[in-house]
Amino acid sequence: MKLYEHEALESIYKKYKIPAPRFVFATEPNEKVREFIDKEPAVVIKSMVLVGKRGKAGAVKVVSDKSQALDVFKDLASREVYGEKAIGALVEEKLDIKKEFYLSVTYSTKDRAPAIIFSEHGGMDVEEISPELIHTHVIRDVRSVYPYQIRNFLVGINFSDPDLLRPLSELIVSVFHAFWQTEARLLEINPLVVAQVGDKKKLVAADAVVLLDDDASVSPAVRFGARGGMGRPLTQREQDAILIDQGDHRGKAGSYVELDGDVALMTFGGGGSTVTAETAIEAGLRIANLTDIGGNPPAEKMYKIARIILSKPGLKAVLVCGGTASNTRIDVTLGEGLAKALDDMKAEGKLDPNLVWVVRRSGPEYVKGLRMLHECFVRNGIRGDIYDSQLPITEAPLRLRELMVKHIGYKPEVVA
Amino acid sequence: MKGPIYLNEKTGVVVIGATGREASQVIRESEALYPGIIKAGVTPGKGGSTELPVPIFDTLAQAVQDPKVGKSINTALIYVPPVSVLDAVMECLDGGIKVLYVITEHVPIRDSEIIFQEKVRRNAVIVGGTSLGCFVPSVGRIGAIGGKDPSIAFKAGGLVIISKSGGLTVTTAEMFKRRGWGTYCALAIGGDIISNTTYADVLKELKDDPNVKGVVMLGEPGGSYEEQAAELIQAGGFNKPVAAFISGRFQERMPEGVAFGHAGAIVERGMGKASDKIARLEAAGKKHPVKVAFYYHELLSAIESLGVPRDFEDSTTDFVKPLYSTIG
Repeated sequence: MKLYEHEALESIYKKYKIPAPRFVFATEPNEKVREFIDKEPAVVIKSMVLVGKRGKAGAVKVVSDKSQALDVFKDLASREVYGEKAIGALVEEKLDIKKEFYLSVTYSTKDRAPAIIFSEHGGMDVEEISPELIHTHVIRDVRSVYPYQIRNFLVGINFSDPDLLRPLSELIVSVFHAFWQTEARLLEINPLVVAQVGDKKKLVAADAVVLLDDDASVSPAVRFGARGGMGRPLTQREQDAILIDQGDHRGKAGSYVELDGDVALMTFGGGGSTVTAETAIEAGLRIANLTDIGGNPPAEKMYKIARIILSKPGLKAVLVCGGTASNTRIDVTLGEGLAKALDDMKAEGKLDPNLVWVVRRSGPEYVKGLRMLHECFVRNGIRGDIYDSQLPITEAPLRLRELMVKHIGYKPEVVA
Repeated sequence: MKGPIYLNEKTGVVVIGATGREASQVIRESEALYPGIIKAGVTPGKGGSTELPVPIFDTLAQAVQDPKVGKSINTALIYVPPVSVLDAVMECLDGGIKVLYVITEHVPIRDSEIIFQEKVRRNAVIVGGTSLGCFVPSVGRIGAIGGKDPSIAFKAGGLVIISKSGGLTVTTAEMFKRRGWGTYCALAIGGDIISNTTYADVLKELKDDPNVKGVVMLGEPGGSYEEQAAELIQAGGFNKPVAAFISGRFQERMPEGVAFGHAGAIVERGMGKASDKIARLEAAGKKHPVKVAFYYHELLSAIESLGVPRDFEDSTTDFVKPLYSTIG
């Protein structure tokens, strides 16, 4: 989970003594903001959004003319940045910047260890820094991390400012400890600034990008509040789907992400769902949703998710697809849950008779389950083909495409 | 010795967290199918319980010191909740166990890192977290892999199947079995960021094993473990045929999401995306027997074109007819 910059400043930088600019965060230009602006000779104002590259979007502004500061604040605290609505704005002291470094700590899967990444050429997008100017120090033993090791690393990369060797090495170790103890996946400071304060040079972390491990021993959603992953509010169907699994731990049927397409997916199992959705997209089908049903849900859960999936307007086809389940009962999920949803929707006049179906499924009681579903197809006039696991799982979307082209004149997308 | 280091005729398993819902089901099922592989279980507070077909102890130390089963235990299968995994792993490593499976999902990354560093220090083999286990048809299985009736998917043969996704491991074994290829060893390595056993680790381990006729590798976006396998092959570290499928290409066409995030993008520039992995593997395929399947089911034709011999007869045809049809 990604933190807002002010959350990182308040809850991580303070605790681990990572030097930051003086700051105030607010959702509106309140008294604290006015006082802060009054005291500072000049300020930097930033939109608080999770999306990156704010500077390029004009969402970070240096304000020297104080008469404008509140207007800038109002604008940045409420604007949209790359489609994401700001939740407020951060006002910081303006630093007298002499140099900008790049510093981050993250996991390197190459080394299977945390790595400290440092460059003397920070400030811009790290992707734009030439690779030979970026240096990596891998933490092979997390039990002993000391500043002297970092100084050895900095000397090894010909770090240019000997005066900063000690403070920088100590700061980097603090940043590592913050990363480690807060169970982060990434802690990035770009830029890490060398600022002139009076006659002294001082290191100041002028930004904070923190990604916490969602599986951390204390869940970040508990510490900072849950935040959605799609960058948009949940749709009604998505909200309804979430309710399916609440208070009922038997199996999982409530994962549903709504997309723009016209081919509904009822897919089973993590790996199987991904590979089926992916093949459908590669085959040029415009999918209407993602889902991942599994863990042997009871018929009621399957009934509910089936009705939610089929309620999306404009559907042309349905793909019911999963591997050979080891636990999930096929008679219960398809033979009872899905079949009852279809019976009821038909009776209520809510089942589109023009939908084209392909089913591919195997697992416990699949012979019975697929036969029950076939009988349901017959009594409700549903058109489609039903396969067991003789058909490779990812051929199912291709078979559906054939049927759609042949029977309803579907024009698949041309995928590059 | 029959079977690889991950599971062989000398393997004796202790299940940690044995009396939990999932673990006790796995113990019952596995002992009914392949009796004798699981020697004992450990659940603190449940020592002496007789509800399962193996003896239960309060501690790992008691299990390995038990006069009846202690000496035969050399492998641990861990089913404890995420926050208890590190403790369970340390208990096993300190108890002298050298092969461990972590089935638990959502292990904190920090704990995974500590586990990995300890594993390296002690020269142990750990598979997971988020492993579904291991299947070696000539020996048996560890974990839930294959469910109640593994014969649907598994028959002895020459393929090694390595997959981050547990479900796809079995689906893949079944797909190949229907077309005449059996499995030598199927290993669900899990998709955690810090993976204790990677594709490259398995390839290195099995490079001289004469039972291996070909490898099927199933990858996913994230990390650089698929790329590391490609580099190993490129450097001549593994010479047998490898067919690979990498899922997740479609994510690259979707708006930039949180899932890929920023992490790793810096240290691992040019790695991590499905297309990066495919490109590295295809590059290795220029000089080595490596093929990347575009569609998942094209793994079949990849293995065939790499010349991996069938282990038995093809039991389906190239074109499968529907079981039922209500459309013309």
